[in-house]
Parts: sequence; structure tokens; C-alpha cells
Amino acid sequence: MRLLSCMALVSACGLAVYAAPAGAQSNNVRISGLSDLAFGSLTSGVDATRTENVCTFSATATKGYRITASGSGSSNAFTLANGTATLAYEVQWNKLSSQSSGSNLTPNVALTGQTSTATQQACNSGPANSGTLIVVIRGTSIASAAGGPYAGTLTLLIGPE
Amino acid sequence: MKILIAKRLGAAGTVALLAFSSFAANAASDGTFGATSTGTVGISASVPSRVQISKLSDVAFTNQDPASAASNAQNVCVYSNTATKGYNIKATGSGASSAFTLANSTLTVPYTVEWAQTTGQTGGTALTTNVALTGQTSAATTPACTSGAATTASLIVKMSSAALLTMQSSTSYTGTLTLVVAPE
Repeated sequence: MRLLSCMALVSACGLAVYAAPAGAQSNNVRISGLSDLAFGSLTSGVDATRTENVCTFSATATKGYRITASGSGSSNAFTLANGTATLAYEVQWNKLSSQSSGSNLTPNVALTGQTSTATQQACNSGPANSGTLIVVIRGTSIASAAGGPYAGTLTLLIGPE
Repeated sequence: MKILIAKRLGAAGTVALLAFSSFAANAASDGTFGATSTGTVGISASVPSRVQISKLSDVAFTNQDPASAASNAQNVCVYSNTATKGYNIKATGSGASSAFTLANSTLTVPYTVEWAQTTGQTGGTALTTNVALTGQTSAATTPACTSGAATTASLIVKMSSAALLTMQSSTSYTGTLTLVVAPE
């Protein structure tokens, strides 16, 4: 019985090793290097823009990924809030770092076909950043907004491609 | 007689400072390494209190019969972006010490100014030069009343018969009335 148990264990171990061969490609991704965006006091009629470099990493063979943004407004709208008052903003994404503009994102709609230059999941080595997040508050929105402080949260989800 | 009304647009900068440090978002978080990865960014901004007065027109009292008082009312737009849409208004004339007077060289004649926070009025609250009339509210939903209510308030300029009787005939008297609106 002891021999049978041992043989069964060896067999199981052998199967486990066979099921996960060394060097298999994962499809994992990661977004990191995110910081809050503080616009400060806005000027009526003048567009306000904030950008930040972030790290997107994709372990797929092509380093491809898609990105989906959602805001904290109603139905995930890109809006900031002050009580019941809202202030709309726009979100753009560029797969390169240090860009001033990019592709417009729509809430809950994935921007596909992105590729990353990152070689480490948190960009701790290789390129320090691999994408740019751009947020714009239009002057026309500011002009008709109620006075006061506004805040909101932007959620970014990336998936492998 | 002609009164030129100076348009004063803009804001009271002193009310623009808001405590946004207490409202600053602090939500940034990185995603983890996985089949998908989700990160968050907090966004904060502040819109200063702003007001605008617009749609002002010059006032002309021409060949006015001094036996009768003269009155001119015009509808104007006042926009305030405060939560209450409140504002105050201050008027100053071009006479000595900002008096509401028209002049032709050394000749002067007084007029009066009234303000109503609703449109289409022929009378309102009498203004004193350089003294703010507080507690006004606006129905405007956009700056310059580009949509919604076309006008929101009434400016009424009056000249009494007694004042008209002091004027020299065939003589043009002019002045400028300045209106300053500030958010409340």
C-alpha cells in the first residue's frame, strides 16, 4: 500500500509538471504609476488639461492591450461632482509616454489595439513609462458650471490582446 | 440727454479662493498584475464664483418735456454661478463723488437709478451710488443668457420733473452709469 501511494504521488507530480511547462507565456497585464490629477482653480472659457505618464505592461507576445475607462458620474460618465452640480471632462489615451493628446475614450468602451514598450510589469527597469493619460475640462463646461470644488474618480482597466 | 451705461463684466476675485485642499481627491491606486488590471485616478478641480452682467443699452432722454418725469426701463442679463445664483449690484455715476448726474460742462442734472431682480419691471429698488444692493438672485442659466431666460433683471433710470426743469434747453447732458455685479 505504501508503494502504491508513492507511485500515485509521483504520477500526480509528473502530471502537474507536464501541465505547466517552464517558460509558458502568460497573458497578464498591469497598469501602474497612476497619480491623482488636481486642476486647481479653473478659468471660465479656457480649456484645462492635465497629463500624466503611466506604466502599462502586457505579457502577451505582441505586448498588446486594450484600455477601458469609466468615470464616477451617472452611468460611469466622465463627470466631477459637487453635490448635485456636475462638471464634465474628457479622457484621452496615448500608448506612448509624454504625449499631449491621444485617442478620445468613451466610458465603458474599450480602446483596442494598444501596445506597450514596458519590459517590466511596473516599469522598474526599461522604459519608466509607457503611456499617457490626458484629461481635459473644456472651457465651455467651466463657463456654465456652478462655483465650488469638484471631485471624481476615473477608473482605468486594461486587458491583454 | 444721454446716459452711457458702462458694462462691467467679470468677477469678484476675492471670492475665488476656495478650500480645495479639503476637497482634494486622493484616490490614485495602481493595478495589480493579472488577467486584467484596474487602476484609479482621483480628479479634483474648483470653479470660482463668477458673475456677468450683459445686454446693457444706452439710455437716451431726448427732447423731454420738463413738465413730466422721464423714465427708461431696460431688461438686462445677470448671471451668477453660485449655488444660490445670488449676487449684489453696485451702481456709480460719473458725477462728483460718483453721483448720478449728467453734465454739460459745469451744468449738471441728477437722475435716479432703480434695480429689479426680475425682467420687465418699470420700477425697482432705488440704488444709492457706490452702495451695493444685496440679496439679488438671477434666473439665468448660462452666461450672457445665451440660452434659457433671455433677460433676468430690470434697470430703470428716471429723471424727475423738478430735475428736468433745471435743465438748459437745446443743451446735451451726458454721463456714464457703471454697474458692478458681484457673486453672493
